[in-house]
Amino acid sequence: MEILSAKNISFTYPLEETPALRNVDFHIHKGEFVVMCGASGSGKSTLLHLIKQEIAPHGQLAGTMFYKGEPLHNETPPQDIGIVFQDPENQIVMENVMEELLFGMENKGYRTAVMRKKVAEMTHYFGLSHLLNKRTSELSGGEKQMVNLVSVLLLDPDLLLLDEPTAQLDPIAAKEFIQTLAQLNREFGMTILMVEHRLEELFAVADRVLVLDQGMKKMDEQPREAVAMLQDHPVLQYFLPSSSRLFLHYESEVIPENIPITVREGRDWLRTKHVDSREISQIEEHSAPYLTLNEIDFQYKRNTSPILHNLSLTVKKGELLAILGANGTGKSTLLKVIAGILRQQHGKIVINGEKTKKLESGAVSYLPQNPALYFLEDTLIAEYKQIIKKHKQENGEAQIHNLLSKFGLTALKDRHPADLSGGELQKAALLGTILENPAILLIDEPTKGLDPFSKRMFGDLLGDLRNQGLTIVMVTHDVEFAANYATRCSMLFQGDVSITESTSDFFKANTYYTTVMNRISRKTSATPVITMEEAKDNWHVQKKSSSS
Amino acid sequence: MSLRGVRSFHPAVMLLYYVVIIIGFMLSQHPIFLMVGVGFLLCTQFLFDKGRQLKSWLGMILTLAAFILILTPIFNRRGNHILFYLFENQVMLEAVIQGIMIAFTLVGILLAFISLNQIITQDRFLYIFARISPQWALLSMLAVRFVPLLKRRLMEIEEIQKVRGFSVTKGSLKERVKNGMLFLQALLTGSLEQSIQTADSMSARGYGQQKRSHYQAFPMKKQDAYALLFILITGCLMIFGWWLEDSVLSLLPVLETTKLEQRECLFLANWALLLAFPVWAEGKEVAKWKYYLQKI
Amino acid sequence: MARSKKVLLILSFTLLLLLCCFPLVINKHYMLVSLLIMGVSFIPFMYRFSKQKLTSRELVMLAILGSIAAVSRVPFASLPSVQPTTFVIIAAALVLGPQSGFVIGVLAAIVSNLFLGQGPWTPWQMYAWGMIGLMAGLLRNTLFMKQMLGRCIYGFLIGFLFGWFMNLWFVVSMINQISWKEILLYYSASFYFDLAHAISNVVFLLLFSNAWIKIIKRFKTKYGLFE
Repeated sequence: MEILSAKNISFTYPLEETPALRNVDFHIHKGEFVVMCGASGSGKSTLLHLIKQEIAPHGQLAGTMFYKGEPLHNETPPQDIGIVFQDPENQIVMENVMEELLFGMENKGYRTAVMRKKVAEMTHYFGLSHLLNKRTSELSGGEKQMVNLVSVLLLDPDLLLLDEPTAQLDPIAAKEFIQTLAQLNREFGMTILMVEHRLEELFAVADRVLVLDQGMKKMDEQPREAVAMLQDHPVLQYFLPSSSRLFLHYESEVIPENIPITVREGRDWLRTKHVDSREISQIEEHSAPYLTLNEIDFQYKRNTSPILHNLSLTVKKGELLAILGANGTGKSTLLKVIAGILRQQHGKIVINGEKTKKLESGAVSYLPQNPALYFLEDTLIAEYKQIIKKHKQENGEAQIHNLLSKFGLTALKDRHPADLSGGELQKAALLGTILENPAILLIDEPTKGLDPFSKRMFGDLLGDLRNQGLTIVMVTHDVEFAANYATRCSMLFQGDVSITESTSDFFKANTYYTTVMNRISRKTSATPVITMEEAKDNWHVQKKSSSS
Repeated sequence: MSLRGVRSFHPAVMLLYYVVIIIGFMLSQHPIFLMVGVGFLLCTQFLFDKGRQLKSWLGMILTLAAFILILTPIFNRRGNHILFYLFENQVMLEAVIQGIMIAFTLVGILLAFISLNQIITQDRFLYIFARISPQWALLSMLAVRFVPLLKRRLMEIEEIQKVRGFSVTKGSLKERVKNGMLFLQALLTGSLEQSIQTADSMSARGYGQQKRSHYQAFPMKKQDAYALLFILITGCLMIFGWWLEDSVLSLLPVLETTKLEQRECLFLANWALLLAFPVWAEGKEVAKWKYYLQKI
Repeated sequence: MARSKKVLLILSFTLLLLLCCFPLVINKHYMLVSLLIMGVSFIPFMYRFSKQKLTSRELVMLAILGSIAAVSRVPFASLPSVQPTTFVIIAAALVLGPQSGFVIGVLAAIVSNLFLGQGPWTPWQMYAWGMIGLMAGLLRNTLFMKQMLGRCIYGFLIGFLFGWFMNLWFVVSMINQISWKEILLYYSASFYFDLAHAISNVVFLLLFSNAWIKIIKRFKTKYGLFE
């Protein structure tokens, strides 16, 4: 049975000339799990918000949508469409979890007894009972997003819309969230329409993939067909699962049914192949230590437990060191100690032979997790001019100009930072830190909220900067990103660096905390690799029968 | 504080209780009444948290009290009994008593507010408020929810900008003020943009479409009815005592003796009974737990 | 609409004046009378807002502005007596008008007291900041407020008035036999704080009011709020 359908939807924002959506048609059946994807600016969020009438954007709408056979955008919006948004923090309205869960039901005028029963049932099922009395500001990102989901589910939606709900979560929380959705869909028949770019795990649970490109529907297919059709797309090919991309790279003959979309299918496919691998040679660079941390201790207050304990770390000139570790192991704290935002209670930090205390500010630049907070001025160009004025740079104007064109931001230089997309904002803030001409660049969680293509662009920029001699220390959850761009990786555990190794050794030695490509290639005839690029460079894949 | 102490009473009942207590302090202008009042409130404080909360307010309370105790006799010269001369100015007994009474009234009211803040915590206050004006309460709840978020964002801005060389703790006064305002400005711009999502999440969950209902987090219980009755009776008696001027010490034209007559004693007992309510409710629990622990 | 605004303006001024002067006329039950007068002049505005239909975006915008006003003293913790709460309220009121200015002022007081603890000063502070926002909003389209000089004069005067008014909770409720000398002494004790408040208002308005007005206006028009 059809639950939602759209006929010839076009939409134009006020004061804009090009429409955000053009003649989009689609339909969703009851109980389906549909994933909608597209590059940034493809109109996917606009389309999703148009379905939820209460928050539909203002503008020129043409065409009709039908929900359960009734046209949408009449006087009363349907009561049983729920939506969860991207940012876990901003959706929260109340101060503590219980009030937050009640908020929607109070809006709809439920009685106390009903509310108690529903909250009891839901928190029990989703395992949130222990959070009920907590303040919402104390929850982790993953917990916040679960609370948001449950507070929507409490209103008994028949159709659940999700707008990039895992973009701001760490990989483990994201995986859990997606599994919860899959469970809702499978066990309770919840119809789900989800906009997302983290597709690695999503293709396996989705029934259909809807792709938007520049406001138009590009395709509406089952996942494997979608993979086959997207393989040459300049942007969206990077969104595809690693197994599929590996398969597509080596198989000339593509039959959609055979395309692997999970790690397991990828490994099974690889086992049917004979892989000649070149011996992967490691080039050990022996450059001198540039930044040294020696026996650092840090705790926020005297009576709280230490965050960093007896931590020592060496960073070499011109390398990109990735610091990985679970939530709460002190990754961000470590970065702040290096940046001089926090002062260690014990131990010393030496940059290029000088103690940081003696260094002037400006030796270190810091690219924060939330790049929007980097900006103080109204426009990018005003911010950059302010920086070169403060740092008294010669040829500052020319340098700004060069970097703007190199970063692909020239057209955006007069924009307000708040009006940029996530990827643009991240690049714009990176440009600012480069203008500060630092000895070391510190980056906190750079891939949060970025789609795979923006990640790639950003990673390539970092690679270029590193080749020009910039030393970069990056803290991240993103195993794939670290594997692709870091030269060495450190694991932080219980306030100390448990191991620092070259990126390749680091991930190959890990069994669980490693990249998808490593999981696919392990225990096959191929030499294990950690990234797609490494496989492409080193593997020669043949059919098994012909070689043996 | 245990689950069955003063906090187990309905917040609205407790709010009324403290309103009555504060009115009591303003009306009962008699040194003995006031001292008994302050004594009971100190006792309450001790039972609540061994006086920890009180300590943080002590400085302010004592300064204000001292300020009044010293200044009132200096400026107030009305009265019939000259105590002594200070720099050729007469210091009147009436003025000294007046000063003591004002100081105790002030201390009493502040103490009442301290324990009010402990019993009617933020969420309880907003709960009562929601009954009076849902829109104001919701607005306050939103703002209360935003404060930790904004503070954290502001701290992040300060940290990030510190690395960039903008600081509110270093540099000239002008620079510090300017940087501080720039940070607030960045906070304003960012937070306004982000708040759109908060608003959308409210609308998406049905806000503004119909009359809201209220989750009764604090249902009225039998003990609340008894407490209400108790507060009303003792409160009315207290006001009656004031009306008869039994709980007021007259200073002018003739200074009344501070010794209490029989009827006045009765009203003092009533006042003490009213004040003893939280002491009784908390003390009972403390005793019960001690007994309970001994038994095991 | 314009007439009711004028009536509101005159009414609130008269009541404020009455509140400041009555201790000189009546000499008993100051606290009760002052609370009564405050209530009479305050409750109509409170009531008007509580009946107003607002979209969730407008409600959230008011909440953000109110809580920014309340937390605005945080970055200046190292600079005592510099706190831009009044400035934030005035800037918001100049864009959003009297009703919203009033709400933001009252909210700032509620929020900061919810976090710092209620005291006898709570209603006075709500009243004072609420009225500062209300007046700034009422005067926003006048030539006076459109000029920087006018804004600064308003900020300066308000700095002192706020301090004087906040002294009232103490003076009125505590000192039964009020004499001019006591009042003057008490007020002179707070003179430097009030001066600092007045001067910082002027400095903030001078340097930042245009930028803040621009930001709030941009946001208001971008999302079509309060129209």
